[in-house]
Amino acid sequence: MNNFLTLFTKEFREAWRSLKFVWMPLLFIVLGIMDPLTNYFMEDILGAVGNLPEGFMLTMPELHPIDILSASTSQFQSIGLVVLVATMASAISRERQNGMATLLYVRPISFTALFMSKWAVASLLGIISGVAGYAGSLYYTVLLYGSVEAGAFIKMLGTYCLWILLVMAVTLACSAMFNTAVAMTFAILLLPVGLMIDSIIGSFWSLSPWKLSAYGLQFISGKTSEYYTETLFLTVILIIAAVLLGILYAKRNAATAKI
Amino acid sequence: MEELANINWGLIAPLLVVQAILMIVALIDLARIHATNGPKWLWALIILFISLFGPVVYFIAGRKTT
Repeated sequence: MNNFLTLFTKEFREAWRSLKFVWMPLLFIVLGIMDPLTNYFMEDILGAVGNLPEGFMLTMPELHPIDILSASTSQFQSIGLVVLVATMASAISRERQNGMATLLYVRPISFTALFMSKWAVASLLGIISGVAGYAGSLYYTVLLYGSVEAGAFIKMLGTYCLWILLVMAVTLACSAMFNTAVAMTFAILLLPVGLMIDSIIGSFWSLSPWKLSAYGLQFISGKTSEYYTETLFLTVILIIAAVLLGILYAKRNAATAKI
Repeated sequence: MEELANINWGLIAPLLVVQAILMIVALIDLARIHATNGPKWLWALIILFISLFGPVVYFIAGRKTT
C-alpha cells in the first residue's frame, strides 16, 4: 500500500507538472459547450456562412436536452477519447524506452502497485475531464433547452466514469504490452475506432462495452435499457481482465527496459 | 458592426475564455520548456493560429520529456 502511495504521488506529480490536469479538462469543457451553442445558433450560422439562396426555408427540429447531451457525448467519445488515449498510451512504454524504468525496476517495487498507480492517475484525469465536460454541457443545456433530472444525470455520469475506467485500463494494458507507437495505434483502434464500428454495425448485437455510454444516456429520457445491467457487468469483467493483463505484461516486459 | 452587437456575447464568452486560457497555458509552457520536438517558433505559430487543436497538439506531441 505504501508502495502504491509513493508511486501514485510520483505519477500524479508528473501529470501535474506536464499540465495534463489543466489542459485536458479545458479541452473537454470546450467540446462539451460547443454542441449546445452551435445547435442554438444554427440558424444564424447557416444564414451567415451557408450561402443559402434568397427565400430558402428551413425548419429546425426542436431539440430536447437528451439530444444535446448525446451530441456532447459523441464529441467526448470521438475527439476527447482519441486525445485521452494518445496522451496515456505512452505511460508505461515511454519509461521503458527512455531509461527511467531502470531507476524504478532496480527497487523492490511490485508491478501491481506500479500498474495500479498509473491506472489510478490516468482514470482520475479522465474522470475529472469527463465530469468537467459534462458540467459545461449540462450548464448550457439547462440554460438553453430545458432542465434535466438530477438523479438521471448522475446515473449517466457514473456510467460514463466506468467507461473511462475501462478505456484507461485497456490503454495502459496496451502500453505495458507494446512500445509507444504500437500501443497508441492498438488502443485507438480498439477504443474510438471500435466505437465507430459498433455504431455502424452494432445493431446486430446488444451486449458490448462500447454501448455502455449510449445505455447510460437513456437514463436522461427516463428509460432504463434492458441490457444495462449485463453491459455493466461485462464492462467490469473486461476492466479486471485488462488490469490483470497489464500487470502481467508490465512484469514480463520489464527486461526490455533500456539501460 | 450592427450584427456583431446583436450577438448574445454573454452566451459565447465562456467558450472564448476557455479557449484563450488553453492558448495562454500552452504559450507559457512553451516559453518555460527547455526544448520541444521541432522548432519552438513553429509551435508558437501553431498554438496561436489553430484554435483549440493547436494547444492540444502541442501538449501531446510538442513537449519533450526526457
